[in-house]
Amino acid sequence: MSNQRQASSASQTPHLSPAELSYLYTSLSLPRAPIRPDGRSPTQFRPLSAESNILPGTNGSARIGFADGTQAIVGVKAEVERTNLATDTLASQSDVNDSEEHQGSAAVSGHGSWVQMSIEIPGFRDDDALPVFLSEMMRESLVGSVTEGSGKADAADAAEMAGGLKGRLVINKRWHWRLYIDVLLLSQPLSYPLPLLSLTTHLALLSTKLPKLKSQGEEDPFFDDDWAVAEYLYPRISSQKTKLPSQYVRPPVTLLVISVGENVIFDPNREEIAVADAVLAISLTRDSEAGSLKLLSIRTIDPPSRLTQPAVPNSENVNMLGAPAPTEDIAVLNPVTGEEEVPGVWRPRRGGIKRSVIANMVQTVLKKGGVGEDVLEGLEGVEVE
Amino acid sequence: MPLDTSTTYPLTRLRLDGRRWNELRLLQAQISTNPASSGSSYLSMGNTAIMCSVHGPAEGRRGEATGAAGSAGAIVEVDVNIAGFAGVDRKRRAGGSDKYVQFSLRSISQSSRIATTLRSAFQSHLHAHLYPHSTISIHVSVLSSDGSLLAAAINACTLALVDAGIPMPGLLCGCTAGMSGSASTPRDPRHDELDPLLDMSAPEEQELPFLTVGTTTALPVGENNMDEEEEESKVAVLNMDSKLHCSYIETMLAVGMDGCGQIRELLEGVIKGTNRG
Amino acid sequence: MNDRRRVNGPPGGTRPPVYASLLETGTGAGDRSQRQRQPAELRKICMHDDNLSAPAYQTNLWHFRTSVLKTGLIPSASGSSYLEFEPSASLTAARANPKSLIPPSSALKLACTVHGPKPLPRSAAFSPNLVLTTHVKYAPFAARKRKGHVRDSSERDLGVHLETALRGAIIAERWPKSGLDITITILEAEDDRWWGDAPDSHDASWGMMNVLAGCISAASAAIADAHIDCLDLVAGGVAALVSNDSTNSSSSAPRLMLDADPAEHRSIVSACVVAYMPARDEITELWLKGDSSKASLAAGDQRTGHEALIDGAVDAARGAYTVLAEAVRESLQRAFDQS
Repeated sequence: MSNQRQASSASQTPHLSPAELSYLYTSLSLPRAPIRPDGRSPTQFRPLSAESNILPGTNGSARIGFADGTQAIVGVKAEVERTNLATDTLASQSDVNDSEEHQGSAAVSGHGSWVQMSIEIPGFRDDDALPVFLSEMMRESLVGSVTEGSGKADAADAAEMAGGLKGRLVINKRWHWRLYIDVLLLSQPLSYPLPLLSLTTHLALLSTKLPKLKSQGEEDPFFDDDWAVAEYLYPRISSQKTKLPSQYVRPPVTLLVISVGENVIFDPNREEIAVADAVLAISLTRDSEAGSLKLLSIRTIDPPSRLTQPAVPNSENVNMLGAPAPTEDIAVLNPVTGEEEVPGVWRPRRGGIKRSVIANMVQTVLKKGGVGEDVLEGLEGVEVE
Repeated sequence: MPLDTSTTYPLTRLRLDGRRWNELRLLQAQISTNPASSGSSYLSMGNTAIMCSVHGPAEGRRGEATGAAGSAGAIVEVDVNIAGFAGVDRKRRAGGSDKYVQFSLRSISQSSRIATTLRSAFQSHLHAHLYPHSTISIHVSVLSSDGSLLAAAINACTLALVDAGIPMPGLLCGCTAGMSGSASTPRDPRHDELDPLLDMSAPEEQELPFLTVGTTTALPVGENNMDEEEEESKVAVLNMDSKLHCSYIETMLAVGMDGCGQIRELLEGVIKGTNRG
Repeated sequence: MNDRRRVNGPPGGTRPPVYASLLETGTGAGDRSQRQRQPAELRKICMHDDNLSAPAYQTNLWHFRTSVLKTGLIPSASGSSYLEFEPSASLTAARANPKSLIPPSSALKLACTVHGPKPLPRSAAFSPNLVLTTHVKYAPFAARKRKGHVRDSSERDLGVHLETALRGAIIAERWPKSGLDITITILEAEDDRWWGDAPDSHDASWGMMNVLAGCISAASAAIADAHIDCLDLVAGGVAALVSNDSTNSSSSAPRLMLDADPAEHRSIVSACVVAYMPARDEITELWLKGDSSKASLAAGDQRTGHEALIDGAVDAARGAYTVLAEAVRESLQRAFDQS
């Protein structure tokens, strides 16, 4: 049990026989026209229902349910916290200008540890490998999405979102917001839960509001009691100049992409991920300057196909000894994996990914009119509020 | 002047949230919310919101369910998870540092206490003997907590178990009841200042003594013997951990059981409404 | 309740005070050591021969002295390795001629042990493959800030990365129903930033990526030392996009550096770790983070930023591979001599 839990590879492997795996692999790796078990196109996502702002007790919340019944609820809570001037390296006795300069730079940029993320998955303890890996992955792209340098280009515009999410959490030099993002998966995951969790977190952050600040400058902060005037964490209209909705600053999304043969397939379900040659989690966001997509992080995920049971070709099968070896039972070189394989006989995947495959997967996500844009547009279509 | 029920109630006869002593909060419920489980429900009592899903009866894991204990009937497993964002302040801390232990102790002990109570209540309530060697696992997620957590969890579990089609003699409904003062002196029947309160909210739970009662009807109640319902109802859960003079208990219990009756009607409405649709 | 009878130390740790005047550039003592290597030049990880008695090693490996990748140090384990990155040359110089009491940078030192293949515990489910478990733990004294004894999330995260990197290389189906435990203790970790920078200046854990690359190489050597069949040795490599200049950040775009030491650069924009198998030209683990879109590459270079980063990390891994191969040869030689 504990060993299975430790296995961080893309969730539990379904109990498919080698013959089933081989059949799945063959149909998914058909050149340029993979046949998926549920009839989707390679870039099509599973249907889902989404709603946001469902919990009145949180700053922002969202729920997404896939058609197969897996649901996730994300609640975002913000607390005011004193900024620990952990700058014991910075002397108080030096001249004031100098120290202020230093503090200023620290306070504007914010700190990644101000965003805390915890993921609860039934059947896992919250320090098991899978929840930890998932939360680190999503947190990393969240706090990493800094729009550096944009402050100079368009000062008024970028001031609101300078430093990305981290910068937005700064209240003043001595106070900041701490953001707790709690992700709750309501049932045992049927497939690798990353897309579900990432989309839900995105929606929850979009609906997150922080109370309007009434104090000014370096005063101890106090806030407007009126929740109606609270401001969105991700501002809706950053200024009058940017009218295109695509230029709003948005939280990142993380997509799960698998490659099977030469095909790149999105939002795999559990059976598909079980035969994948490679699994990548790609985080992206909109580049507010260029208007295109920006890559934030890539992580490989251990493909569960490495843990599957191999099949035995007839030529090596003891039970078939003596029977004439069928003619088609001849090993051929699989051009993708570079290994000798008998067609129709499942071998667990070995080795890694070619660089060209990675480049192809990233390209499919990022290209103009590609899947990344589709997903972000779809999410923008979910009416918040 | 602190604004709380114990100070405002004697003056206005209204509680802090504007209810009278015998009023329930708005109860909304829904069943079959999660298609992936055998039965599921969503229930909100005021600002307390709970989602519950039931898996099973399914073949139990090796060990307890297949052993001697399992042959008598299904084993009920309850898992209660209070979300970090459920309360006013966020309680739990992510990550495994030392702080985590301190912070989470309270919420974990609360959730495990609720889980134990639910498990023993439903283990004896359900007709578990119909499913030997199997497990019924109940997963309760508290999304937002504003008092009467145990009572709301009981109600949500009942709905989810009904949705899963697990036979039980009647609906098990829970409700809280408290007193409108600290009630530390014996009750004076001639000069009764304190009123019992129905369905406590979180601020009231913190300042006033209260108890949680869960009742069930022993037999399915038909249309003809509706008036006998009061006699038929049995207490299945009774939980109190605050200090109070013993002369008040009877009043509180009566009010709580009356509240359970009201909730039972509401829950029956939810179940029947879903069937009709 | 305070203990009033004794003079107690401060409850938290202490660090020597650093005065802001030291941090101003030009005063000398607190200067950030700048990188003196070429962008594509790697730090040396080499064989160490101090404790080896067999004369063969001394003659063969005499010319590598600076730092260590060594196998078979822990006799109770079926395979083990010890890896040490040499601190950057500039930092070594600063260390030799100290202007400040604080060491300018830390190097990477880690030990890896492999236990197994061994039978799975009775309670475990059947597995047709070798079950790999990885534990990465920082020693409490490994970083400038003390680490607790319980593994925290970054350590667990590293463990998952390492597991992914190794599982692709091991031929797992040759050991059904068995387990392999890989434990890495990090004795000294790379810094995430230069110690003189304000702790908040950038907080992404770039040092962790260097640590991961080291873990991958060391674990690969230890697995080979334990004689477990692999497709190839897996070498870890890091590349980063760094912007060094402090004054005008708009003037120059970040440049690609192989094997970047976070202590040497003002800011790292983006970094990438790969676990790479040169014989198959395949990547078993890729971890890229940060904004790689603004990289300034050589003229005529058509690659996008992230592709350049991945290629850079692969080049770094190739460099580590040569050392790795040498270490494995040494391990084999020793096994051969013993038999």
